[in-house]
Amino acid sequence: MANALEFESPITKRYPSGGSRDLALSDESSQTKTLVRAADDSAAASQLGVAFGGSRHQAGVHIIGQRPTEWLLVGDESAAAAMVVGLDRTGHVSVIDHTHARALLRLTGERSADVLSKICNVDFGDHMTPDGSALSASVAKVGCDITRDDASGIRSYRIACDRSFAQYLFDAILDAGREFSLTAVGA
Amino acid sequence: MLLVPCPNCGPRNASDFAYGGESHVRPNPNQATPEEWRSYLYMEDNPAGWLKETWYCRSGCRRFFTVERNTATNEFREHPIPGTKLGGKA
Repeated sequence: MANALEFESPITKRYPSGGSRDLALSDESSQTKTLVRAADDSAAASQLGVAFGGSRHQAGVHIIGQRPTEWLLVGDESAAAAMVVGLDRTGHVSVIDHTHARALLRLTGERSADVLSKICNVDFGDHMTPDGSALSASVAKVGCDITRDDASGIRSYRIACDRSFAQYLFDAILDAGREFSLTAVGA
Repeated sequence: MLLVPCPNCGPRNASDFAYGGESHVRPNPNQATPEEWRSYLYMEDNPAGWLKETWYCRSGCRRFFTVERNTATNEFREHPIPGTKLGGKA
């Protein structure tokens, strides 16, 4: 039996370290990403407990209602696996590992909404996209799933896109954030 | 800018959508005459006024829906109907 594929991030360029960390872009692509599709009235949907447009954390897994009848589970490998094993598969439920198919970036900082506003036409004000909200939109012309996931009270966004666009998107966000002193962290 | 009301995502820029054109009731393929089938596939009402249209929310929820738009003023009316492809001339 073949060994499990070792994860290779799609963000392959290296960026200078240092600079301010007040506004940072990081690569979280190595997180396990599992796509769950199920009817809204299914047992699996009740278990996941979040509707389209919202997200929540449970047992180390970020449960994101990214589309109607579609959830993305993000977490470390063991936590995500435990949640998937415990998922009630009654009815039509599909579970697909998207870890190697999708890239995941995190943009953190009080000015992060200003950065995104330059390359995405969604309103990132608190009244439209409060902490925990999830939506899909075009970011720098790339179809992305965006989740607001504030860290210790600091505004933060998780941005998922297809792996092949990730390096371009990373550079496009850095470019948009240059005027706000956006720094690449851990890449 | 044309704001299209998606039933799932709310109003979004038209660039986030793919236009599906006039939406008509699909005839029963077992009973439709060739003329009816050709009309369904190729003929358009094309009114200068209210029209039921299909849109696809490409950047957001990735779902089809039907909504009424005034082709003369680009005004939308009533709530969009998710997951449907019904309509034609309103």
